Parts: sequence; C-alpha cells; structure tokens
Amino acid sequence: MLSDHVKLAFKNLRHRMSRSLLTLLGIAIGIMAIISLLALGEGMQQAVTGELSSLSDVIIVSTGGDMFSSFGGGGSTSTGEYFTQRDIADIERIQGIKEVSTQLSGSGLAEYNGKTTVLSLTGMEVSVMTLQYASQNLEAGGFLTEGDQNKIMIGYNIAHDTFDADISVGGRIKINGEKFFVSGIFGKQGMGGVSSDSIVLMSSRDFKKLTGQSNISLIYLRVNNVNDAESIAATIQNAINENHGKKDFATATTMTSILKTVQNIIGILQLVLVGIASIALVVASIGIMNTMLTSVMERTREIGIMKAIGATTRDIMSIFIIEGVLMSGVGGIIGIILGVFGSQALTLILGSFMSMGGGSSFQLVPIITITSVVLAVAVSLIVGVMSSLYPAWKAARMSPIEAVRYE
Amino acid sequence: MSKDVIVTQNISKTYGKPPLQVFALRETNLRIKQGDYIAIIGPSGSGKSTLMNLLGCLDKPTTGNIFIDGNDVSTLNENELARIRREKIGFIFQKYNLIPTLNAQENVELSMGFAGVDSQTRTKKAKQLLDLVELSKRLTHKPSELSGGEQQRVAIARALANNPSIILADEPTGNVDTKSGENIMHILENVNKKGETIIIVTHNMAIAQRAKRVLRIQDGEVQEEHA
Repeated sequence: MLSDHVKLAFKNLRHRMSRSLLTLLGIAIGIMAIISLLALGEGMQQAVTGELSSLSDVIIVSTGGDMFSSFGGGGSTSTGEYFTQRDIADIERIQGIKEVSTQLSGSGLAEYNGKTTVLSLTGMEVSVMTLQYASQNLEAGGFLTEGDQNKIMIGYNIAHDTFDADISVGGRIKINGEKFFVSGIFGKQGMGGVSSDSIVLMSSRDFKKLTGQSNISLIYLRVNNVNDAESIAATIQNAINENHGKKDFATATTMTSILKTVQNIIGILQLVLVGIASIALVVASIGIMNTMLTSVMERTREIGIMKAIGATTRDIMSIFIIEGVLMSGVGGIIGIILGVFGSQALTLILGSFMSMGGGSSFQLVPIITITSVVLAVAVSLIVGVMSSLYPAWKAARMSPIEAVRYE
Repeated sequence: MSKDVIVTQNISKTYGKPPLQVFALRETNLRIKQGDYIAIIGPSGSGKSTLMNLLGCLDKPTTGNIFIDGNDVSTLNENELARIRREKIGFIFQKYNLIPTLNAQENVELSMGFAGVDSQTRTKKAKQLLDLVELSKRLTHKPSELSGGEQQRVAIARALANNPSIILADEPTGNVDTKSGENIMHILENVNKKGETIIIVTHNMAIAQRAKRVLRIQDGEVQEEHA
C-alpha cells in the first residue's frame, strides 16, 4: 500500500520535473550550508583539541587575570610585580607536580647592523619553549636545543622590521654587548593567533647570565596525573595570592580549562552559523509548501477521482506527504553531497585568508561526522513532513463530488 | 428472483434552511436489482447529478436511508463511504477522468491498490480487464496517448476492477464519436449480460431506449418511464 503511494508520489513529481527540481534545490542548498558549517566547526574543534590536549598535563601560572595574555609571548607584567622565589618554592612543595619551569621577562639593548634599540627579552627552559611554541611555524631555522648557548629565536617583526636590514638564520645580534646567534625565526603570526612577532626568545640560563635578573612573569609546570590538574591549579593560585596579599594576583590555568573555553567558543560560533544556515531551510520549506499547494490546486480533479474510486483521507494525505518527503529527502541527500564539496571549498577560502595573515601550522580540515549527516537527513525529512502537512490536509479534505460534475 | 443491490427509503437532498430551502431531490424510493440496466434521463438541473452522487456514495442524503447490498450507508463517515465506493461501486465519467501521470494498466490497478489487493493479482486482473475492453496492446500508454474512446474503455476496465455491485456511468458516450460510443455501449451491455448492474445517466434518448428501465427526473422528482 505504502509502496503504491510512493510510486504515485514519485510519478507526480516526475510529471512536474522542473518544478520539483527547483523546489528540492532549495532544500539542497540549506542542507549543504548546514553540513559544511558543521564540518568546518568540527574540523576547528578537532584541530584545537588535538593541539591542546597533548598539553593537558600543563598548568600555566601568570600574573593578572587574563589567561590568553599569558598564553603566548611576553607574559603580563601590567602590575609591575613578578613572581618570587618563595612562590616557586611553594609550588614545588605541592604534591603531584612533575616539573616547574619559569618564563623570565626583561629587556635589553640590542644592536644589529649598526642600529641599536631596546627589545623585550623572554627566557625560558628550552623544553618548555618547544612545547609552548609548538603550534607556531617557523619561517626559517629551528628551535633551540637543550644545551644551546648564546642562541636566540626571534619573531617575524624583529627579523624584518626592527632593524634596517633583515636578519636571517645564523645572523648575529649583540644584546647588552653579548653576541647571540639567531637559530630560528618565527613565521608571521598576524591576527591569526597569539603574537610571537616581536619576541626574542632565549634559554633561562642565557637570560640570567645576560641580565642578572630573574623576573618571573610566567610559571610553567606539569603534573603527574592529568586528573589532578584542576585541583593543583586552584591550590597554586591560592598559595601565590596569599604570598602577595592580593586576591587576584595570579591566575593558574590548566590546558583543560583553556581547551574547554576554546571549545565552548567554537561551539557557540558553530551554533550561530548553523542558525543562520537554518534560515535557508525555513525558506526552502516554505518553497515546498508553496509547490505542494499549487500542486493540490492543479490536481483538484485528480484528487476527486481518486477519492471517488475509493481512496481514503489517509491515502490522499499519505500520497502528498510522501511527495513532500521525497522532495526534501532527495534534496537533503544532494545537499549532503554538495556539503562535502562545499566544506572543502570553504576551507580553501578560509585557508587562503589565514595564510594572507601569515603562515600558521594550524591546519583546518573539514570533518563530516556521522552525527551531522544523520542530523541533516533527519532535518530534511522533518522539513518535508512539516511543509507538506498542510497541503496534504487540504487535499484530503477535498470533496470527490468536485471531480464528478454531471451537468 | 435476483436480490436488491440498492434500495432507497424516502431519500431527499435539500440545500439551505427553510424558508430558503431548495429541494435538489424530493423523497425518492427506488429498488434496484442485481443485473438491472437502468437509464436516468432528465434535463440539466433536474437532480440527476444529486441522485447519482447519492447512489454512488459520494454524498449523503438529507433524509432517508440508502441500502447497498443490504447495508445502510447513509450513516457512514467519509472513510467508510470510501470503502463502499471502492468495493461496491464502479464509476465511469463523461470526461474519462483517468489519472494523467499513470498509464492504462496503472490506472486500472489504482483502485485495486486502494482496496489493498496485492500487486501480482492486480497486474493479472488489470491485463485481463484491458483485454476485455480490447486494449491489451495499449497497456503502457498514458491517457494523453489514447483516443477518447480508448480512454473511456480504460475507465470501464478501471470501474470493473474491484468487482463492484453497481456500475454508475455518467454520459459514457458523451465525449466520443458515434462509432466509439457504440463500441462502449456494446462493452457495457456485455458486462450487464454477465450479471453486472448498470446505471447510465444520459441525455441521449437512443441510448436510454436500450436500457431495461428508464427513470426520468424532473424538478427533483423521480418517475419510472416503463417497467
């Protein structure tokens, strides 16, 4: 019985081919938008998650409140106050911590090619450096290795804008009278991420030797057990704030919480984008309703005949709803296929924007999940049923007498 | 003695409420037997179509009862009427009224489909019926590819599909040429000879004369012409 209805519905759609195609194109575009935006969002989630979750045992303690200012270059020193050795000692006393390292901030007088300028310097353990800047690509050279002496890594701006001449790998810069060799240059970061464009990075040992200072702007530590990270972070924050007699001197941030925040932001972004894409679907469903209502009008006689020869209200309803579902279902499938290509295209476009702002190792690959495909199919079927419900009801209500005019 | 297929008891159909009431059909008592061949005649607006709609279970009487094969159908709801229509009544319309998207065979199968007949039986029966109306070479033709006479013969096959108790034909020859009309009447009369009850509405006196019974309707009143 149902298969008969499907057959009838299909024949009707084929009979009005161009109209059916145009109608289902509307659904296809809506579904394509949703699929490709979901794929993009999922790709973003996974890229970020992949990058951050390898650092899930890391806690970053910074001064000031904003975790993102700490999660990159200079470290926040807006308060003018740095961490003390007592803070470090307190942290090292906490159970479950594997290693503690610090990021030192200061400044120095740098000379290159006859020009002298003041640069802010950052010192940190080489192993930490590698971890923290792992996501940023290098324009040239490589990371510092353990035991390197008098070697630095510099940001894009330092290499190209600060001095009169460009600095290349192996170049020699005098800082506070001491010679340093450039071993790596970061690629231009631009707006795409945390800025390392103006950084001068050296090992903690070189930093101390050079400046004689040990202004700790950032403490970087790893825990033994990832599950303890949150509680240890809280303990550290309390201890340090107590040391400094301020409520919000320090912020201890776990990678997990950064991850959660980033995921939340991407999630909200995704929701907004899909919400916008859904407007296309609403328009498409109005299109289906419109097409079907026209079809019901045109087929008044046909519907009457079918009722006269014994079709029940349910038969007629079913035929029309199946018609709507067929249109939206086929539209949905086409939309999914288009969405696969659409998400690739979108990624290419986004990718070219990103690389315009400076190379980044952040690779965005659209990911189409089973969930989003199932969602798309479900949504298109629901749209089909919903938008054909009213036309179907209208059709079913028609009187068979309409078709059987005797005079 | 053949049994009654349709019995009407004082059925009437009125539109509107008193004092503006319009009688489309005044109280009518009819007894139609199995194998009857009846012609209904009368001028336009006389109430022919009202009577046909009532006999065909497309409409309900305002008063009175209609029994089809002994069952009172005047109290049934729309879906129950749809069941009666597909099981007991075969319609033939003046303008053929085939479904344009379906071919001849599918048109004949359609009402069997609504009745829940399985597809194998349907196909077999449809071919058999189209053979009866001499269209076995036109199975896959769409209505638009058939002549008027051919379309009407498909309609006859469709009307016979569910082995109805009554065939209701509305001006079956009204839209076809004389030769095709003769052919159609011939087929219908053959069906009648096999025991099928046939009711024909017509303006054409020549066709009405061929019937065994003629009912004349004038101003909503039904009169027997000759018994």
